[in-house]
Amino acid sequence: MSEELSDEVKALESMIGEEYKYGFTTDVEYEEFPKGISEEIVRELSRVKEEPEWMTDFRVKAYHSWKEMEEPTWFNATYKKPDFENMLYYSAPKKKPQLDSMDDVDPNIRETYEKLGIPLEEQKMLAGVAVDAVFDSVSIFTSFKEKLAEAGVIFCSMSEAIKEHPELVKKYMASVVPVRDNFYSALNSAVFSDGSFCFIPKGVKCPMELSTYFRINNMDSGQFERTLIVAEEGASVSYLEGCTAPMYDENQLHAAVVELVALDDADIKYSTIQNWYSGDENGKGGIYNFVTKRGICKGRNSKISWTQLETGSAVTLKYPSVILQGDNSIGEFYSVAVTTKRQQADTGTKMIHLGKNTKSTIISKGISAGKSNNSYRGEVKIGKKAHGSKNYSVCDSMLIGQECGAHTFPYISSENPTSSVEHEATTSRVGEEQIFYLMQRGISEQDAISMIINGFVKDVLKELPLEFAVEANKLLDVKLEGSVG
Amino acid sequence: MSEVLQKETLLSYIGGEVEPKGTSISIRAINERGREELHNTAFPTRKDEDWRFIDLKSITKNTFVSVDEADTKEVGDISNHFLPEAMNTRLVFVNGEFNEELSSISDLPNGVIVGNLANYADHDSVKSYLGTITNYENDVFAPFNDAAFSDGTFIHIPEETVVKAPIHILNVFTDADKAFYATPRLLYVGEMFSKSTIIEEHIGLADNVYLNVPVTEFKMFTGSNVHHARIQRDSKQASHVSRPIAMLDKNAEYHSYTICLGAKLFRNEPRVIQNDQEVDFTVDGLVLIDGDQIADTHSIMDHRHAHGKSHQLHKCVVNDSAHSIFNGKIFVAKDAQKIDSFQENRNLLLSEDGKVNTKPQLEIFADDVLCSHGATIGQLQDEEVFYLQSRGLTEQKSRELLVYAFALESVESMEVESVEKLLLNEVIQYTNRDEK
Repeated sequence: MSEELSDEVKALESMIGEEYKYGFTTDVEYEEFPKGISEEIVRELSRVKEEPEWMTDFRVKAYHSWKEMEEPTWFNATYKKPDFENMLYYSAPKKKPQLDSMDDVDPNIRETYEKLGIPLEEQKMLAGVAVDAVFDSVSIFTSFKEKLAEAGVIFCSMSEAIKEHPELVKKYMASVVPVRDNFYSALNSAVFSDGSFCFIPKGVKCPMELSTYFRINNMDSGQFERTLIVAEEGASVSYLEGCTAPMYDENQLHAAVVELVALDDADIKYSTIQNWYSGDENGKGGIYNFVTKRGICKGRNSKISWTQLETGSAVTLKYPSVILQGDNSIGEFYSVAVTTKRQQADTGTKMIHLGKNTKSTIISKGISAGKSNNSYRGEVKIGKKAHGSKNYSVCDSMLIGQECGAHTFPYISSENPTSSVEHEATTSRVGEEQIFYLMQRGISEQDAISMIINGFVKDVLKELPLEFAVEANKLLDVKLEGSVG
Repeated sequence: MSEVLQKETLLSYIGGEVEPKGTSISIRAINERGREELHNTAFPTRKDEDWRFIDLKSITKNTFVSVDEADTKEVGDISNHFLPEAMNTRLVFVNGEFNEELSSISDLPNGVIVGNLANYADHDSVKSYLGTITNYENDVFAPFNDAAFSDGTFIHIPEETVVKAPIHILNVFTDADKAFYATPRLLYVGEMFSKSTIIEEHIGLADNVYLNVPVTEFKMFTGSNVHHARIQRDSKQASHVSRPIAMLDKNAEYHSYTICLGAKLFRNEPRVIQNDQEVDFTVDGLVLIDGDQIADTHSIMDHRHAHGKSHQLHKCVVNDSAHSIFNGKIFVAKDAQKIDSFQENRNLLLSEDGKVNTKPQLEIFADDVLCSHGATIGQLQDEEVFYLQSRGLTEQKSRELLVYAFALESVESMEVESVEKLLLNEVIQYTNRDEK
């Protein structure tokens, strides 16, 4: 234990003083659009991406819907509204490399990945993870494609999917998150740049964990990712999403849409580590993370599980949800949200029980430090026909320092007399007795606090895939360094 | 404010205008203030977060007139509603108007005032505190009471005085030809280290439509202590929207228990404000509803200073197509350290068509606190029913017994024996309603 700990301390120390580890920009030539949004821009975007007509129509329709909608204001956060007219809606590296080997990748981009600590080659070899790296808006590298193809799994960029699997995209896109679902989903539908598409056919267990690294790189380029994962009958897949972004002063908007569809007996696990630039001590800069994530358990006995570690972004509004339509389906949500400095996070989940004997579990842990505000906002709804359904929710908050806030807004409703819902929440701080107990045993105060916090979030982090769990622990320590004690 | 002009105000449902009726300067001033607010505040709609789940049709489909125009029936004999413990500490209001004959106030400790507001309008405490404690934002109901009331209850307990007998404030509503509105008002001023028990009761004598909008204000000085029971047994056609609020100074204790049995539409917004350190308060509730009743509680426990303790247990039993709503907020302000606050909402949903919405809410800005809440929606456990059946009870009887046990916990907090008995009777009537 002590050896492990001292390693951890060393790792920690090495990171102290690094303001934002992943804050740097790479000079790559960009093909840029004029700033602003209009029907012409949307059409032009579709043309540049060589999309079929139905996709262009989809975007244009979405654009007009978005035009009619109002920006939401109901959440517990205040920030400077994004200026949609002063934003770039498309940017892509100019030379689209045809990749046979890593040597073909733009050396600048390769350098970026090295700084980020994701050597693609090594990752391929060692971790057995297929990486679909999204650099700004266009996918530039897809690995392990052949191996996945053998199993029948389709894993490619959304642009590619639109061209090569139009019937699947047409069938499932916007089936879980309708275009008009909310302001940002409509905007995303109009101008989404790219994203990942993943299709696991009947009875296939995906042979490896799928992963995408997102990275925002171009100043003023809002990122509008679109991800769609479909698991057919009896299929299963685990998907990882991790994010880092360079340090900029101008606020950047990220409004992604993620849709998951699970048919009979299918199983989807979606894990996220989000560590975008959160702004400086005074709340200047930082990413706006307004994401719509929703999954539907369409079939019987299907299961969708969301796990997230949210540490970055200036403002986060994110509610990964599950619609439990199939009988006996299961929805899970495990979340750790950490806010420091002047970060504001309003995050949680929605579990909509429609089918019989559906079950959902919500474990949410919020840690607020500095001058930040952390809110849990969740909804559990038991429909009239959801006989025998069960929900269990726990939302714990921890406050560190006297200038932060923790909020809990759970909406619970039930219309069925054979179902049960249990919700509990607590707010507290790191106990002095706990710290004293550990210090008494020779552990420094900083380590003691770090251990207590690790214990606090353990229930959630253990849900992360192994590769992520290590990273997650380090990230937490770095993030809270200096705010405790 | 100009956009309000296009929206409905409460005035649309009460015949367009409320005439100020206060006979004293102090009450008159509050009437005028309320009237202005009423004109400038839009009636809530489902788009307002705090009114999202509630159906206000029971109010909006009616036009309520003042009691004078309603042709109300005689009150008759209501002595069965008198409490034996409070035979000489009782104020009775019929349709919101003070009734001296039915009231009985005698042998109170020296200096204690229990009387009607209009009589004490010039009392220093009335001038200082009446209308100063309520602070509901964007509200139409408290201003409505402000605008329309001319009388009410005034209770003043002097320093270090303990009133042993419970003080019974009995609001009865009679049958009438027209739907009417009533605005009962209560001001309680507890001086330092005073202590008393208040039983506030609302009873509908017939099955008629009326709108009952009571406002109660509690000003609690250092070390004062109040046990406040509120029993709502309005007519099953009535709408009841109440605003009970308490302001607590250092070491004050305020324990309130609201029992909701009647009214078609019940909306209760209790608030307790911690105005200094070291306070202790309770905001409990018990809701037993069936038919098409709606019961909605929006409470706020507002900790503004350090060292406070608060507790809330809100229980609801829902049958038929009734609808129960709960939104309990715990606020802990910055620097209000060492707060220990607990909130629990338990719902028993017994029928196919019943509906429960609950939203316990924590908003914490201080780090050294212990705040927690829990909420459950469920039904009777099969194992428990089976256990009782295995001991010879019928299934029906077993279920009744379990519902009775669920409600019992809240009833037992009543400190007055006759009230406890009365409520147990109500609970039995509710649970045994299917028996013939």
